[in-house]
Amino acid sequence: MALRFQNIKKKFGDLTVIRDISLDVGDDDFLVLLGPSGCGKSTLLRMIAGLEEVTSGEIHLNGRQVEHLPPSDRNMAFVFQSYALYPHMTVRRNITFPLIMREHKWWFHIPLVGYLAKRRIETKPDIRELVSITAETLGLTQVLDKHPRTLSGGQRQRVALGRAMVRQPAAFLMDEPLSNLDAKLRTAMRAEITRLHHRLGGTFVYVTHDQVEAMTMGTKIALLRGGDIQQFGTPREIYERPANTYVARFIGTPPMNLIEAQFQGDSLRIGDRLLPLPETAPRGDDRKVWLGIRPDAISLTTADAADALPVRVTLVEHAGAESLLAFDPGSLRVARDEDGQSDIMATQSGYSGIVAGDRVGLTLDIAQASYFDIDSGLRID
Amino acid sequence: MNRSWAFHFRILAVLAVLGIAAFPVYWMAVTSMTSSEELFAGSPRLLPDPAQIGTYARALVSTPLLTWLGNSLIIALGTTALSLLLAILPAYALSRMSFRGKLLLALGLFVTQMLPEAMLVVPLYDIFSRFALLDSLTGLILANTAFAVPVVTWILKGAIDGIPTEIEEAARIDGCSRVGIVLTIVLPLIAPTLAAVAVIAFFQGWNEYVFAQTFISDESLKVASVGLASFVGELSTPMDTVMAVGLTYTLPAVVFYLLVQRYIVAGMTSGGVKG
Repeated sequence: MALRFQNIKKKFGDLTVIRDISLDVGDDDFLVLLGPSGCGKSTLLRMIAGLEEVTSGEIHLNGRQVEHLPPSDRNMAFVFQSYALYPHMTVRRNITFPLIMREHKWWFHIPLVGYLAKRRIETKPDIRELVSITAETLGLTQVLDKHPRTLSGGQRQRVALGRAMVRQPAAFLMDEPLSNLDAKLRTAMRAEITRLHHRLGGTFVYVTHDQVEAMTMGTKIALLRGGDIQQFGTPREIYERPANTYVARFIGTPPMNLIEAQFQGDSLRIGDRLLPLPETAPRGDDRKVWLGIRPDAISLTTADAADALPVRVTLVEHAGAESLLAFDPGSLRVARDEDGQSDIMATQSGYSGIVAGDRVGLTLDIAQASYFDIDSGLRID
Repeated sequence: MNRSWAFHFRILAVLAVLGIAAFPVYWMAVTSMTSSEELFAGSPRLLPDPAQIGTYARALVSTPLLTWLGNSLIIALGTTALSLLLAILPAYALSRMSFRGKLLLALGLFVTQMLPEAMLVVPLYDIFSRFALLDSLTGLILANTAFAVPVVTWILKGAIDGIPTEIEEAARIDGCSRVGIVLTIVLPLIAPTLAAVAVIAFFQGWNEYVFAQTFISDESLKVASVGLASFVGELSTPMDTVMAVGLTYTLPAVVFYLLVQRYIVAGMTSGGVKG
């Protein structure tokens, strides 16, 4: 295992930020730490880097226990949300800085002598080549001798990536590196970082609150909430088999619908409708559950169709490729979010002709459904 | 049209303030180049008399002005160098580290500024006499530095507060030590503030009078502020000479300021982080 957390805990005074986290991340894995603000994801990343001390527990990198080591001895590269470039240095010096630091001696602090020594390192053929290859990869060749203040946000973030790349670190750590960029640039940089991971290999740990970034970039996602891991798995596992109602609602736009239902033998009662359960679905005598169904697993039919749930349309949004529909659940009980949102949501491809106020029937594809305990919210298999 | 009015009004206002600030200096120049007889005439001259340029030459020849200026320069530069050297690390610690008694230390620095020089001159005299620091420029540098360091520390702390911590964290990850961070990252980024505090410390040493008057009795170690005051006699004061010496006394300070002020530019940290 390339990166292993063992019973990691972190407290700031009396405030527990990370409760007890244990994780194993393989070589070449792209781990995304995902969660809302204040869930502890950035703290966890900073503990890996050595910027925060671990209250208790162990961190192993490539078999080496590192939590007691200073950041510089961990051989990790960190890309900050705010880029954190050295404003008084050129792009070239920013990128070369970690390499200069590797050969740094105390007398580099002597004015002029230090300047010449650093320059000598910067102009070494192998370092020049490494920097120019890195700059070329990131499209920074033209700006190598400029200062960060003259660059655009995207270029600055690429400089930060370049500074991380030249170190050839054991792990890349990234703390919401794209959240300061506009939507278009973010999409481009997302692809760039994914390509970087494919090309360089190694372990990447990436913090984000953006589930699209998590789903598209990660090979593994750890979804955090309140200092605990809610679920750890591949993006597909997390999307298709959420471990609890929190994960179910957090992943997916619009989120998974949670409708109260009751097992009855080989059927599932939703409101006054009785739907046959597929063979793979769990069973439970008269047990009440949350039926979790993704908006794309709901199709529309007429309001009086058998097996369909009759509802009233409250909102129709056309996003071009698909239409987003919201329905008043009526007498059905649905799980409320913290924001009080309680409509049933469905998506339809193309431009829907339905308008708000229409009465329609919902057909649920419960072969794709998840089931959760009504009290604990945990998944039932 | 309105904008142009506002612009002209602003120019006028700036010129007015500039005039108020510069007039005393101009008046010194006029006085230094006015003959003694005319000085006390009913209507004073408004323009300098070029024929009286000899006052400067006489001042240079008849007084040890160059020695005084040399001593003042040594003290001012010494105070500047020592103050910056002593203030940088405490300023960094006050800005970036948390330790027991930090607030007390920070407030303690403030308290030292509340005591007037005149109150400290006797105890300092006693201490300096024990350490053989009387009649020495080193003693004066130490005394002035003690007064400059708290101000310099507070100003530098404010500047270091303005450097985003991520930049330092990035340097730590890149393998920079704490001292390395201060020297390689922090100091270049606060260069404008360093220049500003250098000016403050320089003037502290250059202008100081009470300590210099009390601690120095050797004529060859006299500084310019004391030398200037020595012209004021019980019966008469040669105003033209005093103004000539006074104007000469301000020149090195102005030169120092001009040398340093080009580093006082805003926006050193821009571009490092998003914002």
